[in-house]
Amino acid sequence: MSVAKSEWIKFRTVRSTIVGVFIFVFLTLGLGVLITWLIRSHWATMPIGQQLTFDPVSSSLGGTVFAEFAVGVIGALFISSEYTSGAIRTTLAAVPNRVRLILAKLFVLVVSMIIISEIVVVSTFLIGMRIFSGVVPTDSLGNGAVLRAVLLSGVYLTLLALFSFALGIILRQSIASISVFVSLLLIVPLLGFFFPQSWQNHFQKFEPINLGGSMMSVTTKPLNFAPWSAFAVLVIYVAFLLVLGMTMFSRRDA
Amino acid sequence: MLKVDHLTKRYGDTLAVDDLHFDVNPGVVTGFLGPNGSGKSTTMRVILGLDHPTKGRATINGVAYHDLKEPLREVGALLDAKAVHPGRTARNHLRALAASNKIKRSRVDDVLEFVGISSVANKKVGGFSLGMSQRLGIAGALLGDPGVLLFDEPVNGLDPEGIRWIRDFFRSLANEGRTVFVSSHLMSEMAVTADQIIVIGRGKFITQGSVDDLTANANGTVLVRTSDNAKLTSIIKSLNGTVRQEHDDELTVGLLTSDEIGQAAFGAGITVLELTPQRASLEDVFMELTAGAVEFGGGQIEAMRHE
Repeated sequence: MSVAKSEWIKFRTVRSTIVGVFIFVFLTLGLGVLITWLIRSHWATMPIGQQLTFDPVSSSLGGTVFAEFAVGVIGALFISSEYTSGAIRTTLAAVPNRVRLILAKLFVLVVSMIIISEIVVVSTFLIGMRIFSGVVPTDSLGNGAVLRAVLLSGVYLTLLALFSFALGIILRQSIASISVFVSLLLIVPLLGFFFPQSWQNHFQKFEPINLGGSMMSVTTKPLNFAPWSAFAVLVIYVAFLLVLGMTMFSRRDA
Repeated sequence: MLKVDHLTKRYGDTLAVDDLHFDVNPGVVTGFLGPNGSGKSTTMRVILGLDHPTKGRATINGVAYHDLKEPLREVGALLDAKAVHPGRTARNHLRALAASNKIKRSRVDDVLEFVGISSVANKKVGGFSLGMSQRLGIAGALLGDPGVLLFDEPVNGLDPEGIRWIRDFFRSLANEGRTVFVSSHLMSEMAVTADQIIVIGRGKFITQGSVDDLTANANGTVLVRTSDNAKLTSIIKSLNGTVRQEHDDELTVGLLTSDEIGQAAFGAGITVLELTPQRASLEDVFMELTAGAVEFGGGQIEAMRHE
């Protein structure tokens, strides 16, 4: 617990965390308000087909698509900035047990990101429903599927922070880690378009962005994983990267 | 006590540390002397568990660093003063370090005060001069009030006043019965700072002893001025002595005594103008010991001087 306390001090006393969280909140909440307001003002002219398949949850949380990158930066920098600055040697001199160090960092990252993410997504959803009310059909957290979709949005963002944190352990460089994170989220899906449609149908559902889409929607799109299966797949990704990172971290010279 | 036990560290093809074996005892300042690239920093990194040894091990009071539960309470180290996050304030940096080893928070302000950077405690470390960073590093090393202290090239970046301060500081730490291990590539600095000196070159142990021991065992040189330096030079070489031309008319002769040189000059009819035996300085000893063990030596300059 003492190491976790130390890591918590380190986590909150650098500007990158503060700025990252601010951008994360601003994008999710700000874009959420903008998107829901635009939907409200154009609802009357929206084709009936779209109106019927409308998902109030994923629409109000549309800002998270951009907030993902802020979350990735927070996670990656939490470890990579120690390498970039050389501070990792000071850290390891104080905590020579490397597994203990990574577990403490993970603990701090998981707890802080889940709290921030859940507060942000729940408030964004509630504000979105306020904006919709009277014009666009709304939903409430009392509905089990809605509650699951909103809460899993926060879980999705937290898992992405862990995903980029693991990349940071493996790559030891801030810019490299963030680049790889962005590539895996954005560029890999684009590569899919070079393959035949039948292949895309099989592989698209494994892309992190589509996993997130399933987790934060009330209705599951055809070809995508069901919400909890998507959650499980993403957890496997993160666990794999963390185990790989932890193994490398223990063996490497600092 | 710090023990380095047949330590070898290899990075790929480079043998950075080669079977180093020595003890560092409490109560004295022990200097760790060697040219740049001789493996001093590598040895320190292995002692601190940052790098894994290829063979052998290093222990603190019999325990490997990796197995220490709260290492800052037993070992304080300053390896690289700039190894801190530039965006964090000095106080927060030390608070995080203290928390990791369950050290009381009040201790942070104590050590900040002690090294004289209390006034900039809430400033970001990125804006610190090298001297201020060194002081912050020393504050971090003292945080857990450890019995063993390691400093890698601590005088780098310090002004003369800071160098004087740190010298007295090492002395007082040793007088309190602590183990103080200080690396440097500057023999003149070690001569005044350390009681005991361990000399390494190219990763290998060369010698160990007090400053007096090291200089006493070394051969002194003789400063000679004569009417015919060229002639004397060839005579000395025939007697297996070494000659170095210091200035236009001065020769520094090694491996021969002043008696032998005087006799030889008299025999050859050369007028001796000056004949002064010189005791070896630690610097001379160091040069002699590490000759051939210098990773990036000034070979060209040496060659030119001999012509």
